[in-house]
Amino acid sequence: MQKAEKEKGFWASIVEPIGDIIATLIHDALFDDPGRPGVKRFSLQARVFHWTIAGLVILMGITGLILFVPGWGAIALAGWTRIIHRLCAYAFGVVLVLYFITYPKASLAFIKEAFTWKKEDIGWLKAATDYYTGGEESKMPAQGHINPGQNLWQLITIVCGVIFFVTGAILCFAKGAVSPAVFQWSLFTHALAFIIGSSMLIVHAVLGALHPRMSESLRSMITGKVSEEYAKSHYGKWYEEISKQL
Amino acid sequence: MAKAMLIDVSKCIGCRACQVACKEWHDLPAEETTNRGTYENSPDLSADTWTKIIFKEHGNDGALRWLFRKHQCMHCTDSACVNVCPTGALQRHPTLGFVTYDRNKCSGCGYCVEFCPFGIPRMDRESNKLLGTGLMGGKCDFCIDRVSHGLEPACAKACPSGAIKYGEWEDLVAEGKQRVKVLKEKHPDANFYGEHELGGLHMLYVLDERPEVYDLPVDPQMPAAATALNVGEWTGVGLGLLVGAGMLGAVILARARMIEKKKEESAEG
Repeated sequence: MQKAEKEKGFWASIVEPIGDIIATLIHDALFDDPGRPGVKRFSLQARVFHWTIAGLVILMGITGLILFVPGWGAIALAGWTRIIHRLCAYAFGVVLVLYFITYPKASLAFIKEAFTWKKEDIGWLKAATDYYTGGEESKMPAQGHINPGQNLWQLITIVCGVIFFVTGAILCFAKGAVSPAVFQWSLFTHALAFIIGSSMLIVHAVLGALHPRMSESLRSMITGKVSEEYAKSHYGKWYEEISKQL
Repeated sequence: MAKAMLIDVSKCIGCRACQVACKEWHDLPAEETTNRGTYENSPDLSADTWTKIIFKEHGNDGALRWLFRKHQCMHCTDSACVNVCPTGALQRHPTLGFVTYDRNKCSGCGYCVEFCPFGIPRMDRESNKLLGTGLMGGKCDFCIDRVSHGLEPACAKACPSGAIKYGEWEDLVAEGKQRVKVLKEKHPDANFYGEHELGGLHMLYVLDERPEVYDLPVDPQMPAAATALNVGEWTGVGLGLLVGAGMLGAVILARARMIEKKKEESAEG
């Protein structure tokens, strides 16, 4: 009896935080609670968009990776993982286009931001190793809405997304229409985009969800808000701007 | 020592005993085909047809010649299919040199179909029509079960005219070149195929016409993308592990340093 309770406690410790995140996300998605303390960081549509894309990308990543893992081949053979992979890819395209049509200004600003790089950004990236291994927070220069590391991730999502989309379309629809060499290089490039994208996704997920430095990152993508102290210490320039507006 | 088969097309009589023997030994079902106005049958390799004789009508100065060539996996030394196979279902036999295929490891990705310079592998899409997926249907396995027990492959055993010969790779290369010399007297285009192609094929051909007459690619190459994909797969695994370990280390280190700093601050304050 005691043992059974202990086991339940273990699983609850894993399931409950996840349930908490999902419940908060759904609650905040339905009721954009203005009473929650803190500074608004992500709009509701941005958060829903983020988690939709995240779900699709993870599904596509897993269903694609299955083909490559020795011992998992039997799962891929049943065929449904391939169907999921393709359906998610179509959904991915539809979601992107819909978001772009609905919020063209924000989308263009996002793309422009990702391709805008200043000299001091490179310096920030060089100093980031110390920063993310627990170095002095005060050593880092004040940042805007996002820091260069996050901007790098934005750039990679756009570049990898385009590569996935183009090569995926060739693999899906253009078999026989393109030369064997083009098809072969599409296969390679699709895999290459996965290698780069998934490696950086590990960095993104760990920094966003686990890293002590980014303690409010995951929560802000769920509730949309960060505390004033967090905004001040992590995004000084941005905090100044929005403080003026208030 | 690497083994090989020497196929002397000048001795082939197109009886297709090798096709039947292959089906018999591997227990592969017969396929229903339609008359296409040729004795050539089956029309193509398939998931259940691992070898076939290609029939050619070749005009030579008004004199028509009927040519036959046994067609199957060439068992290349530099095998593109092995390079691109992500699960290790396709492998090079370490000592005998053939390309082996393990159905149990296959994920059905179909990369081998796209990269084979000879266009040999076929997917068994019929087994899962709804979703259009399936294993690679199989390909010539060099009768690995017979060969590893000291028997010759089924097709070589069945061949009544001595057109298929099984033996040591080096011996067969020497023998084949000798035969080409003899054939040159009557057929000036006679040549030996398979010694240098893709690091050496384990299906060696004595041809009495140029390779292209027999639908064989002249100087086939390993597709550059196959090499890239092979390197990429291992790089990907390495990079993924490296990044994962690096991030985990960063989290642990950052947590420790930040806790320590807080302690210092609270001690000072």
